[in-house]
Amino acid sequence: MGETVVKLENMVKRYGDLIALDHFSLEIQAGEIFGLLGPNGSGKTTTINCLLSLLSYDKGEIEIFGKKMSPTAYDIKQQIGIIMQEVAVFDELSVYENIDYFCGLYIHDKETRKQYVEDAIRFVGLEDFVKFRPKKLSGGLLRRLNIACGIAHKPKLIILDEPTVAVDPQSRNKILEGIAELNRNGATVIYTSHYMEEVEQLCTHIVIMDKGKKIAEGTKDELKRMIKNTETVTIEILELPEAVREEIGRLPHIYETEYKDDRFTVRCSGGKHNLIRILDVLKQNDLSFGRVYTELPTLNDVFLEITGKSLRDKED
Amino acid sequence: MQVFKAFLRVMRSKMSTAFIYIGIFLAIAVIMTNSDQGEQTKVFSGSKVNIVVYDDDDTPESRALRDFIGTRHNLKELERDTDKMKDVSYMGFNSDIQYIMTIEKGYAEKLRAGEYDGLFSHYRMHDSYEGMLIEQLLSEYLGTVRAYQAVGQPLDAALSRTEAVLNEETAVTIRNYDSDTAQSDVPPLLDDYFRYLPYILLSVLIEVLCPVLLALGKRTIRYRTNCSSVRPASYTLQIILGSALFVVGIWLLFIIAGITQFGMFSGKTWLTLLNSFLFAMISVSLAVLIASFHPGELVVNLMAQILGLGMSFMCGIFVPMEWLGSGVVAAARFLPAYWYVKANNIICGVSAYDGKMLFACLTIQLGFAAAFALLAMVVRRRKYAGTEQMA
Repeated sequence: MGETVVKLENMVKRYGDLIALDHFSLEIQAGEIFGLLGPNGSGKTTTINCLLSLLSYDKGEIEIFGKKMSPTAYDIKQQIGIIMQEVAVFDELSVYENIDYFCGLYIHDKETRKQYVEDAIRFVGLEDFVKFRPKKLSGGLLRRLNIACGIAHKPKLIILDEPTVAVDPQSRNKILEGIAELNRNGATVIYTSHYMEEVEQLCTHIVIMDKGKKIAEGTKDELKRMIKNTETVTIEILELPEAVREEIGRLPHIYETEYKDDRFTVRCSGGKHNLIRILDVLKQNDLSFGRVYTELPTLNDVFLEITGKSLRDKED
Repeated sequence: MQVFKAFLRVMRSKMSTAFIYIGIFLAIAVIMTNSDQGEQTKVFSGSKVNIVVYDDDDTPESRALRDFIGTRHNLKELERDTDKMKDVSYMGFNSDIQYIMTIEKGYAEKLRAGEYDGLFSHYRMHDSYEGMLIEQLLSEYLGTVRAYQAVGQPLDAALSRTEAVLNEETAVTIRNYDSDTAQSDVPPLLDDYFRYLPYILLSVLIEVLCPVLLALGKRTIRYRTNCSSVRPASYTLQIILGSALFVVGIWLLFIIAGITQFGMFSGKTWLTLLNSFLFAMISVSLAVLIASFHPGELVVNLMAQILGLGMSFMCGIFVPMEWLGSGVVAAARFLPAYWYVKANNIICGVSAYDGKMLFACLTIQLGFAAAFALLAMVVRRRKYAGTEQMA
């Protein structure tokens, strides 16, 4: 830790009247799994495209590995691996030929490349499919091939742009495990997603962005500490008199109550034993209740509290 | 050379289409050569009918007629059986005999008396072409005899003069490509081979090269390639190298096949190489232009057929230019295949040799190739400039 791998300063990118990046800055340290979290259209992919010099930008500076990034900074590009949301492979080439092609764009020595390609195949577990064409692979295997093509040249910085969109849960877990392993092997990872659970599970440092702006940054615990909500208690109850609800609302550390569709939701801010105190009030009033469960705050709660809207789109 | 290698690997997967086109074309070329069509069309001979002549008159005059018919047609023997004779009327082409005639008794006497009706009876298939030939001959014979008799010639003299006059044959010369090109350096049928070449070049280059360029130019693949440390100039150069290797390879294949089939080129024939190479350049630039629009596989196939067949029918490849309407020829001037065929005709001696016109044809083709390539560059530049997307 400590060495800055990526530095974006005061980035501005406009598409006509639309501001895609609005004075956006970030710093990524070596060895991090850096999460870029935000809803669709928040500017995540624009940030990545600017970072890779695939897009021009109106203002700002980008440094990678301490050097200024530009379209002709081939020594920097040499050390970057990219894995996109869409599978980017040749349908006409076999699994081995695909990995060999993309690895060969960086590694020119034939022997080294052969070794790297075999390592990548082993890493994603495609040993039994090397001669298969992509069309013969299942969705999960295809995603693994996509990852192998991006990491075969053993880059120091790996950028994963929403790699788990439309992937089944089993394959998703394998992908996340693989990313963690790449990081353990020494790569710095930038991971963009609008799936908060993935970012929570994987990332050591997170930036939440919306409308091209950074709205929060820190570790997952730091982010959660930024908000008032520390615990949400939900109780299934058929009848809840208004007086009882108000009594519970007056308890210490409770800042919001809601009763809707036979579910009583209580949001707590700090404190201990909140659940016991709530249940005591219900018992004292002879009220029977069904299931009771408590939830710790998620990054979605963080996003919700800061922006007033949910991270995920409705279709997600 | 990773991009170049990928180019070749992707191309390998598309080569089956090319082999189908090339195979069919070369097979047709071999069949054409071996069929020795040239000899068949050079020799003229009149049609001959298998005819049976019964001479009931049996006079020197009737025998003279029988012999005269024998000089023009094939005299056959047939047993005088009415049923067999009637068969000719029904079987026609299926029969070995197409016409049966009887010179009626009294033929010589009637001729001498200047009577020309009822001289013959016949069996033949109704409205048959062979029947008309024989009857035309008899009519001609009797008409000439009558003419000589009318000017006071005795029958013997009239018959012998008629025979002499009618035996004079008109010399027939067939003018075709072979007789014309025989005067030039071009081996027989080589002009046909080069005339059909544009269709096959267009089809093969569009059908194979377009999908390869599309595969390499797929948005996601380009994205990943652009992220890599490959320099754009090197990338483009490798694509150009792959395309050039393919087009030159295909062109050479046809040239070598041409030499194998028709012998080594000589004299002006070498110009066909330049002409066909220029057309190969047009085809490849057209393929790059089509690929620049990122069409689907079906559209590529459709374009290959439309351009290949369209130019072939309009520009004198499938149908000789002389048979095309003036409107079609006027429109064809805007297509490169027209100038290719025009140049090919000049080189192969189908048209009179005109060095200036030949140079113009070759230059125009070069212009087409450059124009398509330039257009492709403009389209590609616009396409890639518009790829910035909001995340």
